[in-house]
Amino acid sequence: MSGVALRGTDLRVVGVITGWGEGIAALPADAASAATGRSTLAIDWLPMPGERFRRATRECRLGVAAVQAMLDAAGLAREDIAGPGSALLYATAAGYGASNRAFIEAAATGSALHFPYTAPSAVPAEVAIEFGLIGAYVIFTGGATTTLEALAHAAGLLRRGECERALILAVETFRECEDLHARGRWLLRRPLVESAACALLTVGAGRLSIADGPGPADLGAAVRRRAGETLACEPLIALALGLESGDDRLCVTGEWRGRRLALEWSRSAAPCLQRS
Amino acid sequence: MPASARAADPVVVLAAGVVTPIGTDLDTFWSALLDGRDGVSTIERFRVDDLRVGRGGEIKRVPVAHGAGRIECRASRLLLAAAEDLLRRRSLDAAPSRIGVVVGTALGGAEELERALDKDGRARRAGAALYDSPGRTLAHWLGARGPLLTLSTACASGATALGVGADLLRADRADVVVAGGFDILCRFVMRGFDVLRSLTRERVRPFDRRRSGLLLGESAALVLMAREGDARGARLGRLLGHASTSDGAHIAAPHPEGRGLLAAVHGALAQAGLDPNDVDFVSAHGTGTPLNDRIETAVLKAALGARAGAIPVNSIKAGLGHTMGAAATLEAIMCLLASRDGLVPPTLGYEESDPECDLDYVPLRARTVRPRVSLSTSLGFGGCNAALVLDGGPA
Repeated sequence: MSGVALRGTDLRVVGVITGWGEGIAALPADAASAATGRSTLAIDWLPMPGERFRRATRECRLGVAAVQAMLDAAGLAREDIAGPGSALLYATAAGYGASNRAFIEAAATGSALHFPYTAPSAVPAEVAIEFGLIGAYVIFTGGATTTLEALAHAAGLLRRGECERALILAVETFRECEDLHARGRWLLRRPLVESAACALLTVGAGRLSIADGPGPADLGAAVRRRAGETLACEPLIALALGLESGDDRLCVTGEWRGRRLALEWSRSAAPCLQRS
Repeated sequence: MPASARAADPVVVLAAGVVTPIGTDLDTFWSALLDGRDGVSTIERFRVDDLRVGRGGEIKRVPVAHGAGRIECRASRLLLAAAEDLLRRRSLDAAPSRIGVVVGTALGGAEELERALDKDGRARRAGAALYDSPGRTLAHWLGARGPLLTLSTACASGATALGVGADLLRADRADVVVAGGFDILCRFVMRGFDVLRSLTRERVRPFDRRRSGLLLGESAALVLMAREGDARGARLGRLLGHASTSDGAHIAAPHPEGRGLLAAVHGALAQAGLDPNDVDFVSAHGTGTPLNDRIETAVLKAALGARAGAIPVNSIKAGLGHTMGAAATLEAIMCLLASRDGLVPPTLGYEESDPECDLDYVPLRARTVRPRVSLSTSLGFGGCNAALVLDGGPA
């Protein structure tokens, strides 16, 4: 196992929305039984005021809602994150599927989904516009391991002074591509639970470590049990559960397409995952 | 970037490999750039008769990498062809767990999604449609077991991938990183840009008064990077700095004053520990659209100050088409080769000056000049911007 520790990273708060409702309090004890046979738990269309969101897709709206949920949970105002000091790192495994499909199928129907919304960058773009985020910006595609990489990248940006705070956002939607996901049962657990989550990292006394392979404990397993399959959102929901627990050390193991990665965050600079 | 940021350790670019419409290996690509070869043609691989524009930088025959004969995904085949070209020049001298792979793409496996949606689509097509599938195929082919990332900052992806790859090295997450970008021409993207009316029916003319739009192309481009302290033997140059930033302004159009791009240029120079006076050459995004080229010119003038007019600026997109996720990696490689050989490729199609685009765009033919420090700029949908600062000087 090889790993790297980054000092000076505080995990402040995580905003969470899932197909079960808003916040981790909405998660059932056992997703499989709570789903009562449903393969997908969708999040309803989120109404947003104003002409600006006229063309925005459901996943874009979910991204905006997740950042607002993070701000609400932290007691922060939009002005507190606006500007060049905020990095925005976005992760998704399948959140672009609905828009890509809509665009492809529009060829037959003649309707026209606005092409730029097919790009994964559409979600963080709408978020950046809405909250005035004009700092560092990277878009990662893949499942849980990818979000862990995004968290580690954020810690590096903070450590190098390339941002003052980092928002790590993940969005996953499934409803529009249920039939495709049904073909990929080897890749996805059930139930599929639409989710959006946003974590806020700042400079602080904490320490974030990342290493190949499984970690010594795993909040991700708790998310899979309680929330279901949330792909790139899983590590962020796991961190939300960990923050609520009050534990000093939070460990999340992410798995995606045969690869495993472990991330540990400790409130102090005490040693955690070590390179061996 | 906050003012407290400090210069980062440089990362060495050891070698490169490419597959492009003007050459399916690095040497042919470079010769074609210097000769001003035009790789744009009528697209033959899929139906274009219902589109306004059916031309682009199509690779007519993609080299088949060793062991890749059964791979159906064209994006993966392009990536593996570029990787094989890279490995002909330099082996991966690291343990599998210490080899990282970072690729950027604007489209991922979009063509595979189209196939998966066909009635006859097989189950594994659905998996191949995921954006990260070609990158996974590349890592498997290379035997790389270190960090594996697929990034998608739209048409700036090829620059962001190099920057994030360098960050992995600096963080000691890997000993070598294969990084770059790819994208293919397919119905999905041709129809998208056709609907947007972004494609020109004329020649692509970056920065020219008559410029009327872009054409698309397909390519894959990869570089092999290592920490400077670990690098042995021949090298192409160094990546000194990188920044990827958000416009926060519009879903598809760049910020009217190029706010995000200017921040990216400042960020990359700060990470490099350099100032604008150090820049010898600029590889511009230069798509040939009226808006992009005007904004990019204004940003370069703001960033480089009084020297802007004296610094050669080129765009290589007229001969290749806009290769999307591959574009910025190809342009970074071009910068390093220009330093190596003392020749800057021309901006094909640039003939008539525009009052709003009044820099030195290297018209007509390659120029004998040996830049040491190059700046490469990129923009993409979603308000994505990226800048790279490269040093092609001798080790």
